[in-house]
Amino acid sequence: MNHEAKKIANTMYGRVNAPTVERCRVNFCTDLEKSVLMSNFERRGWNQVGPDEEWNFYWASTQTCRNLFSVESGYRMNDNQMINHFPNHYELSRKDLLVKNIKRYRKELEREGNPLAEKTEVILHGGQVVTRYAHLDFIPVTFVLPADYNMFVEEYRKSPQSTWIMKPCGKSQGTGIFLINKLSKLKKWSREAKTPFHPQLSKESYVISRYIDNPLLIGGKKFDLRLYVLVTSFRPLKAYLFQLGFCRFCTVKYDTSMTELDNMYVHLTNVSVQKHGGDYNSIHGGKMTVQNLRLYLEGTRGRAVTEKLFAAMQWLIVHSLKAVSSVMANDRHCFECYGYDIIIDNQLKPWLVEVNASPSLTSTTVNDRILKYKLIDNILSVVLPSDGVPDVRWNKLPTADALGNFDLLIDEELLEKDEATNNPGRSNKNKTR
Amino acid sequence: MESIKEEAIHQTALKLAEEIKNLSIYKSFYNDVQKLVASPNVKKEDFKQTLQQAMKEKGLDTKLRNTVFHWVRTQSKQNKLDPLTSLSKASAQWEKRIHKSLNSMCSDLETSLAKLRPQSEQDDLSEKWHELSTYNLDLTKYRPVYAPKDFLEVLLTLSGYVPFTREDEPKWEFAHLPLQVKTLDQLRNVYVEWSNGEALLGVNAYMPSTVPGFSTLEAERISLGERVAVLGYAPVIQEYLKKGSPQCLRARLWMQVLGSEIKSQQTSYFNQLKKSVLEVDLMIDKLIFKDVQLTASNDDQYFVFEDLLYQVMLCFSRDCEIMQHLKGSIGNPLNVTIKGKQTSAESVTVFPPSGIIPFHGFTMYATPFCYLYDDPVQLYYTFRAFYIRYWHRLHYISTHPQGIVSLCLLYERLLEANEPLLWIHFRNININPVRVVFKWLMRAFSGHLPPDQLLLLWDAILGYDCLEILPLLALAILSFRKENIFQVNTLQNVDAILADLSTISVIPLLQLALMKP
Repeated sequence: MNHEAKKIANTMYGRVNAPTVERCRVNFCTDLEKSVLMSNFERRGWNQVGPDEEWNFYWASTQTCRNLFSVESGYRMNDNQMINHFPNHYELSRKDLLVKNIKRYRKELEREGNPLAEKTEVILHGGQVVTRYAHLDFIPVTFVLPADYNMFVEEYRKSPQSTWIMKPCGKSQGTGIFLINKLSKLKKWSREAKTPFHPQLSKESYVISRYIDNPLLIGGKKFDLRLYVLVTSFRPLKAYLFQLGFCRFCTVKYDTSMTELDNMYVHLTNVSVQKHGGDYNSIHGGKMTVQNLRLYLEGTRGRAVTEKLFAAMQWLIVHSLKAVSSVMANDRHCFECYGYDIIIDNQLKPWLVEVNASPSLTSTTVNDRILKYKLIDNILSVVLPSDGVPDVRWNKLPTADALGNFDLLIDEELLEKDEATNNPGRSNKNKTR
Repeated sequence: MESIKEEAIHQTALKLAEEIKNLSIYKSFYNDVQKLVASPNVKKEDFKQTLQQAMKEKGLDTKLRNTVFHWVRTQSKQNKLDPLTSLSKASAQWEKRIHKSLNSMCSDLETSLAKLRPQSEQDDLSEKWHELSTYNLDLTKYRPVYAPKDFLEVLLTLSGYVPFTREDEPKWEFAHLPLQVKTLDQLRNVYVEWSNGEALLGVNAYMPSTVPGFSTLEAERISLGERVAVLGYAPVIQEYLKKGSPQCLRARLWMQVLGSEIKSQQTSYFNQLKKSVLEVDLMIDKLIFKDVQLTASNDDQYFVFEDLLYQVMLCFSRDCEIMQHLKGSIGNPLNVTIKGKQTSAESVTVFPPSGIIPFHGFTMYATPFCYLYDDPVQLYYTFRAFYIRYWHRLHYISTHPQGIVSLCLLYERLLEANEPLLWIHFRNININPVRVVFKWLMRAFSGHLPPDQLLLLWDAILGYDCLEILPLLALAILSFRKENIFQVNTLQNVDAILADLSTISVIPLLQLALMKP
């Protein structure tokens, strides 16, 4: 389809109906020639250039971004340049660092005597009583191996029947993940990992987390949520949540019996894993929209619990971002779109599983393509000033129209202003705290 | 005059009392009343007054009223035979064709319509009952018996007697049929709340409420809906549904308005249906599996509920109560011998016991209920009640004002009267306008609209207790996209313009069509 025909098709089918933005001379560069990216850049009339040319907007891989910001490269960005990663995004996206940062954040709040760090006793569904943070208990108990091995063993002994999940810190898409329900299995693994046949494994660190063995099931199947979160600044924190997330379903009925412990199609919802299962359906790809999840929960569980769940997810996202905001290199040329993976348990409590700094832009289905096209379109309209030309001096306060399908999660700058104007001289509870 | 009226009321009451004695709830209801009479609340001196009062307090009053309401609704006003002989003839022929096709599929596949399931297969099926998607069946050779487009072809040949035909009228119009349908103005009188522009759910939930004490329309509707649900009086709930139900109350309200609440009796009946699925292998089971696979399993809105749907649809086929309810509206099902069973009265079964032969997409009548009910039994009874009250009319030929023929005619008339330019455009490009909307009508838009929109549409079906909203919505969508339709001239391209309804907001579109210009 040529450009003109596409335009007609777009208006005809009424689905993706964004108005064509006026042409302006923006030079973009990209490491990923994904169609959802390219079609968005083309529709804006942008001009593609190479990485060594004068670019204004770079959709880069995390590696390129790190290189650009490294001292050796000596590259200095000008005011009309933007890039889609923060240089040390791994503070959020590496499994071990995320855990470390959240633990530190909670400790800091506790030390300040902040009510947010209040602790409470909770009864696990296995029956034992444990002490947890009342408001900040949103990641499963996690340790980094081999460093925290002794701490892990101590925790393990408290409830020896529970299952744990091992994930290599630096890998994604479900590679290298396995479940453990006996300490001996872990010991065996660590012995094998140190043999000369696996020299690469011995260097790698793992996180081990309590496995959520009571996930919410729909139609008997397990799923996780993929939500998209856009951050345009960490200090002050400015973050937006994309309304069009989706649930990723396992193709096989959920089953915690021992025989199925090694069947990863039961446990892992990653599309890259599920795709290889015999029952993968390429029409829907095992994906259901978050709006339909909400509809289902409201219809079958009621409104109050559904609202509470969605509020808890926003809460979780905001605090995971606050946990890293002090360590992030808050470069004003940067923005980043994170893929949040969340699992909901059968008590309708959400758990943060991990954060991805380069969520997949590959489209597995038609709806997927529409969603990702909108995502990119909305990201561009939020991060760019209204004239559509990258400029780091703009105030990063997008209009309601520019938000598209994004909802404002938190904007500390706006909150501060609100406090100053609405309640002069009075201390006010922060809306999202 | 007064006395005649009173006499008539008395006669009606007597008739009702007789009828209620035949209903399944009678025994337990009578027991409850007897218990009440024996209680100290009811006084001998003032028997009538105190009993009525006590019945109100115990909720028996509402129960009795609801029973009468549901009974009255099952009494069809059209018990007479179809007045149009040509239609009944066509209907019989169509039924014969379906039966023939079933039989020939059976002989092609060298199987029989009904046979006993071997024990091993029964065990396997029973074990996998909750995950029938893993039940291995080779369905490659099974084809749906018919699809909406086949049914449409049949409808298009209904010529009737044609006294009013003019030469310049195309042959395909339903207008040849001497049936009465409403005009848009008459519809405005039916959907009076909508045409008056009253605030409806599904337009903008955050719209400010006009009732003091509520911030938004949604909050107001939820609060009112909760009170209505507690009251539990079916006619009031029906009235409430006219302006749309919040999703969180819908499951309950639909059940109440249709009288499909679950008691132990219903659960055990459902288990009986399950048992008969396990025992007898009907050829139709394969068609049901195939249909769920072709529709729900491939649909991103419903694939999650696949396993629930197998159970519900299989049980539906075994439910002979459906056939009893619909006697006279669904033709004469086949009687077949169950192979492998000793010859006796029990070895012959109606095929299928429900009398309903599914077409391609039949499962879609049930899928939206998955967003309301987790439990297969609850889902089953509300779906079944919906089917008996409404859906069967969409795939059987009849002259009923809510039947598919009348709905097609209504659509045609509405289009001609209200969108004359579109009508002419369709004439010019020689496309029958019903072709582009027929599958919407036949499936009540299920699988075409996103579930949230669909549920709002079905609220209106329950609220106004009629299906005329379906052709009206078809018209409204065409009207909304007419500029694009004007630009194309093939059926394929018109279909392409209408293929994606994911951006349609049903309620505002309908209200706009109903509000006076």
